[in-house]
Amino acid sequence: MNAPNTAPNRDLREIIREEPLMRSRILEVLSDGPHTVPEIAEALGRPAHEAMYWVMGLRRYGWIREVKEVTPEGYFRYQAVEKETRP
Amino acid sequence: MTDYDALVVGSGIAGMESALKLGDMGYKVLLVEKEASVGGRMILLSKVFPTLDCASCISTPKMAASIHHPNVTALTYTEVDGIARDGDGTFKATIRHKPRFVDEAACTGCQLCETACTVAVPDQFNADMVARRAAYIAFPQAVPKKAVLERAGTSPCTYTCPAGIKAHGYVSLIRSGEYEKAFQLVLDATPLVGTLGRACYAPCEAECTRGSLEGTLPIRRLKRFAADRHYAAADGPGVEVPRPNGKRVAVVGSGPAGLTAAWQLARLGYGVKILEAAPVAGGFLRLAIPGYRLPPEVVEQDISNVTAIGVEIATSSPVTDLPALKSDGFDAILVATGTQLSTDLGVPGEKLDGVVGGLQFLRGTKLGTGADLAGKKVVVVGGGNVAMDAARTAVRLGAAQTTVAYRRGRTELPAHKTEVDDAERDGVTFTFQVAPVDVVGDSAGHVTGLRCQRMALGRPDASGRRRPEPIEGSEFVVACETVLVAIGMAPEGAAFGGSIAVNANGTLVADARSLQTAVPYVFAAGDVTTGASDITRAVGQGRRAAHMIDRWLRGETLDGEPSPGDGFEMDDQLPLVDKPSVLGRQKAYGRGGALIEAAPPAARDFAEIEAPLTEAEARAAAGDCLDCGVCSECNECVAACPSDAIHLDMRESVEEVSVGAVVVATGYKLFTADAKPEYGFGRYKNVITGMQMDRLLAPTRPFNTVLRPGDGKVPERIAYILCTGSRDEAPGPDGRGGVNNPLCSRFCCMYSIKQNQLVMGALPLAEVTVHYMDIRAPGKRYDEFYEGAKAMGATYVKGRIAKVTEKPDGNLILRYEDIEHGGALVEAEYDMVVLAIGVQPNREVERLFGGDDAIELNDYHYVAERNEDIDPGRTNIPGVFVAGTASGAKDITDSILHAGAAVAQVAAHLESRKVPA
Repeated sequence: MNAPNTAPNRDLREIIREEPLMRSRILEVLSDGPHTVPEIAEALGRPAHEAMYWVMGLRRYGWIREVKEVTPEGYFRYQAVEKETRP
Repeated sequence: MTDYDALVVGSGIAGMESALKLGDMGYKVLLVEKEASVGGRMILLSKVFPTLDCASCISTPKMAASIHHPNVTALTYTEVDGIARDGDGTFKATIRHKPRFVDEAACTGCQLCETACTVAVPDQFNADMVARRAAYIAFPQAVPKKAVLERAGTSPCTYTCPAGIKAHGYVSLIRSGEYEKAFQLVLDATPLVGTLGRACYAPCEAECTRGSLEGTLPIRRLKRFAADRHYAAADGPGVEVPRPNGKRVAVVGSGPAGLTAAWQLARLGYGVKILEAAPVAGGFLRLAIPGYRLPPEVVEQDISNVTAIGVEIATSSPVTDLPALKSDGFDAILVATGTQLSTDLGVPGEKLDGVVGGLQFLRGTKLGTGADLAGKKVVVVGGGNVAMDAARTAVRLGAAQTTVAYRRGRTELPAHKTEVDDAERDGVTFTFQVAPVDVVGDSAGHVTGLRCQRMALGRPDASGRRRPEPIEGSEFVVACETVLVAIGMAPEGAAFGGSIAVNANGTLVADARSLQTAVPYVFAAGDVTTGASDITRAVGQGRRAAHMIDRWLRGETLDGEPSPGDGFEMDDQLPLVDKPSVLGRQKAYGRGGALIEAAPPAARDFAEIEAPLTEAEARAAAGDCLDCGVCSECNECVAACPSDAIHLDMRESVEEVSVGAVVVATGYKLFTADAKPEYGFGRYKNVITGMQMDRLLAPTRPFNTVLRPGDGKVPERIAYILCTGSRDEAPGPDGRGGVNNPLCSRFCCMYSIKQNQLVMGALPLAEVTVHYMDIRAPGKRYDEFYEGAKAMGATYVKGRIAKVTEKPDGNLILRYEDIEHGGALVEAEYDMVVLAIGVQPNREVERLFGGDDAIELNDYHYVAERNEDIDPGRTNIPGVFVAGTASGAKDITDSILHAGAAVAQVAAHLESRKVPA
């Protein structure tokens, strides 16, 4: 469940710039239901800390939101916001 | 008489307090803040200690008051560039208003621009823990709550495009998956989206900043991607047909300049008719550029954009009499006939059968009336792009051997390198430093060979290229049946019967800026005025011509120097962004997308040879864009703003104001935590700073709660390391460097204790451990606050952390000497580590004052007070005072008190000047 943090650190700007690029891919991952950040990262094949930036960016701008309950492992799951209420 | 009694620099809590108190006293105050909102750092905090009052609840009334106080003029997104003392003891301050690109009066703070923006950048107001947009409102409680567009300049790709296409804009739209919007953005400049996506020589890619790193983005092919997507799905250009304005313009020539001008004019409501001499429209696009580079159906699709909005195209309609055209009811005429003529070789034998002009050869091939080259030996004379097109076409027509003969060397070839490489890949051979002497023929008048002379390269000529000089006695004959002459092109300038003046080289005489000829209603654009160039430059000329014709027909001047905002120039661009600055934004580079192989395979037919980008390739390639100018000029914010508040033509302005006194309230810098590499900040994702934790605890937090940045886990064991960057004179891990700061930062202990309490409230199951040297809680009720945290369950462990290491699961191991339990070395594991970073002086204050009036700093580079115990706030410069942390670390309470002292000093100074001598 825990995504390793052993991937080389890319510069913050390189990661953040990719948020618009990752939007559709993350929404596709979430199309089958809510997922945690490590699960999303695994589906994208990218490090969890990079997925964290993208997930929180999408959350900030209303594309996704968290499910209230935390998993037994201590993670929130995130789900896509209904299309009609997206930006 | 001064403009203001006092200037307050900086609008943190000390600056706001100073401005408000001086305003309350009746002084006129100018408050200048460099960020887009007043409030400084306090507004970004979660709560304040020891009361745990909401920081926003305390700050926002002061922020609002600062903006609305009748005696305070607050300027945000504005910088003080310098302050100079006048002879009379007052000051002149240079104030620079940075452009917001947003009309503050019109902006309602709705954030629709921010939602629409396609550029994501780190949010400095959330301590870089989440992205904001290039169009943004600083934070939810911003005062004024007005948007800002972050623009560092024009991105190199956009800046360099001769056609004025916003390359960065369409790249960022493709990155966001907005393919149709990307197409429409290019369409704003030209209808030739598919054409330029294939046949442009992409000067944008030569300037791409990523090109100096891992390689340029495939910007041209991204444009093709957008065009292909559009044409595969849409019927027509997808733009509204404008209402006719009752005026008519004739465009003579249907090449890239003519088509683009017609498109732009028709979109302005003009009735446009294109008159084309050839039997098909498109000029060189249809009659010269081979189909393997530019398929004719792509040109037809692009031309259909023009006809779809009402432009009439009459083919086989040569024009020679411009006045007659005017008499037919056209209000203006644009001549855009390009360069139709091949330059002659000027050697004997040129009239032999088998000698063909390069353009005529390409045209004949396109129209199906070309020469039969099957099995023949062909020599192409020339080294430009037309020569490459002719040679590669000859190969495809079955020539047994195709040789390019060029009088200079390979490095002097004027053809684009990709064209040369592709020609060689197709099997074309090159002979360099040879010049034709005569064409050799048989008795029947057919070509049998080309006699050439070898050339040596001498000194550079006017073009900068080395001048070819013949080598005596070096003549030889290249056997061939066909000679294709591609040494130059020229317009048919004389075609208009002398009604338009013609230069010696055959180009029409027209004003370089307005493109107007001596006949006022006739304009000329493209290669017919510039000489042979390329498609993209011709497109740019077409755009300019339309703009100038529109100005002229609306009665606006085409003379004189353009001035900002007068609409004279089409593309009112910001200066080119500084590339070293762009590269300096990042510590490391590594593109996410794979480099895309651009070289196509060798081909032997006229099918298009360059493969399109797949959607995944296009998105990934666009994702590599460095956003050099930050804002991409995609115009999404402009379209989204319901108040028409976005104004990309705003520019910086500078003014000088006189003030009676100055309050420096420029605050502090936070310690950069990666300067303590043994703690792993920047490398270990779950090591954060105290400021980041404050953001996670704030109501406007970047995450949904306190989470590990490394993976989003709710942390169960959180450690604090106090005195990170404070009271630290130890050398760095390598024995050198180190923090070299002996000072206590005064509030790290207390904000850590505050956070301990807040974390335990937000995460009831979390264990909080604080590693400290000693706890400094000297203020009113501070110690009780500390005891309260302990009572809530926080653990305080004395001893400095030696090292932090990271486990594969992101957990962190802290190694320390347990001072209170025998001094044993202990390792403890945590989910997350918070570095209680201290403060450093903000040395930007030094640039405010220059020359003899340099402001004096203390040994630690904070603003020096003459006597901070008995004369607080007074600096070495009479009339200049300091408030808050600019003079040293202080908590909020002390900053407010210090501001009060500075205000009293200012008042005393101002009043003393009123007393008669």
